[in-house]
Amino acid sequence: MIQKRLIGVVTVRDGWAVQSFGYGRYLPLGRPEILVENLDRWGADEILLQVIDATRQGRGPDMALLEQIGKRGLSTPLIYAGGVRSAADAVAIVAAAADRVVVDALIRDNASEVIKAGEQLGNQAMIGSLPLSIEHGAVRWFDYRTRTSEPMSEELLELLEAGVLSEALVIDWKHEGQPGGFDHALLDALPKGVPVIAFGGLSSAPQLVQALKMPHVVAVAVGNFLSYREHAIQAFKAELLGVPLRPAAYQQTLHA
Amino acid sequence: MIPRKTIGIVDYGVGNHASVWRALHGLGYRCRVSAEPAVLDDTDLLVLPGVGAFGAAMEALHRHDLVEYLRGQSSSGKPFIGLCLGMQLLADVSLEHGLTAGLGLIPGQVVPFDQARWHIGWNSIEVVGNDPIFRPSDGKSMYFNHSYVFQAAPEYQACLARLDSAFPVGVRRGNLVGLQFHPEKSQGAGHMMLKNVVEGLCA
Repeated sequence: MIQKRLIGVVTVRDGWAVQSFGYGRYLPLGRPEILVENLDRWGADEILLQVIDATRQGRGPDMALLEQIGKRGLSTPLIYAGGVRSAADAVAIVAAAADRVVVDALIRDNASEVIKAGEQLGNQAMIGSLPLSIEHGAVRWFDYRTRTSEPMSEELLELLEAGVLSEALVIDWKHEGQPGGFDHALLDALPKGVPVIAFGGLSSAPQLVQALKMPHVVAVAVGNFLSYREHAIQAFKAELLGVPLRPAAYQQTLHA
Repeated sequence: MIPRKTIGIVDYGVGNHASVWRALHGLGYRCRVSAEPAVLDDTDLLVLPGVGAFGAAMEALHRHDLVEYLRGQSSSGKPFIGLCLGMQLLADVSLEHGLTAGLGLIPGQVVPFDQARWHIGWNSIEVVGNDPIFRPSDGKSMYFNHSYVFQAAPEYQACLARLDSAFPVGVRRGNLVGLQFHPEKSQGAGHMMLKNVVEGLCA
């Protein structure tokens, strides 16, 4: 049986891993490659590396960071987000180190490049980032470049329904970094059958269990709340009872 | 002193070789990443990795003049492992984006996964029979990321995974092995399996 996933998130800004609070306030944590390595050692089911200032600064994907991580050789699948401008970027990201690619601005700017990336990498490699909120009972899709929100576009919904995007990363951007802040109502915002990864303010085991028990939620992603203790992935997994999750894994040396 | 085994990672421009290299290197093997037959010849085992679409990958193998080389290596009995898309390329044909001929090394065809749109994440594998190179991995969780399945002839199916029903995720024909999942990204369980397969094929 396919298992649901606990994804560890490393957020990068100005080249440093940071704790993020609503994508508006940041605290430095250290070098991103070290945090990624920790998650790899702790047995995360996937690692999401999100470079949050790449698109705004027009830099494109952080290939230097990806190559650095590639050289270290993770034994955990890596998802990369940030600065993806084209199908060629997505292919380069996978060639460097990642297994899957998150697109956000590219969905708004050039959906045909998202389709092209899926044709080259397989749609299973493509994930759509959806920073959402609910305002006056309506679901709003946040554009972090303009700091404005609008209803989800027809084009976005088509990409999800057609399976061009294999999973939707639903981000509660308003409550991101706030303990217990995640609004579970966001998980019902998408068309039926779209697999969802929940992220943003998920901090406690009961919250994670509530999300993971929803049939279309295939994964939960946790960022800040993994930074407060060692081996946080295993500790969370030990508390997530009653959901089909891979048991906690512990690194071992295989050759003497 | 027993010499370290040398593994040739076939570099045809498709996918990420670094994680395969790192996993094998971490297991104690010497690795050569190349598209040059002269370099690959001087190795104990070949690994064919791959991600993406079947047609584009076969095109890349043709462009690098590797199709006949890999067929020759396989028929000579050289140990050979295909990973993920690299497993699917061992098939006769794929239906992904139209009909594309594969390497034709293991009878069967690559077809759309019929139990879900994708098979993404960690799933446990079931080993068919008592093949010692696979048996220790029975029941272990591996990382999958695919939407097509290699329906190999039953006599070559070595490992299965299951959603509603079982489907092949590991194949073996003599010294040729294909694994649909990513052992290099499946942490301790995947690395242990890689080691068992390499050692078993090179024994």
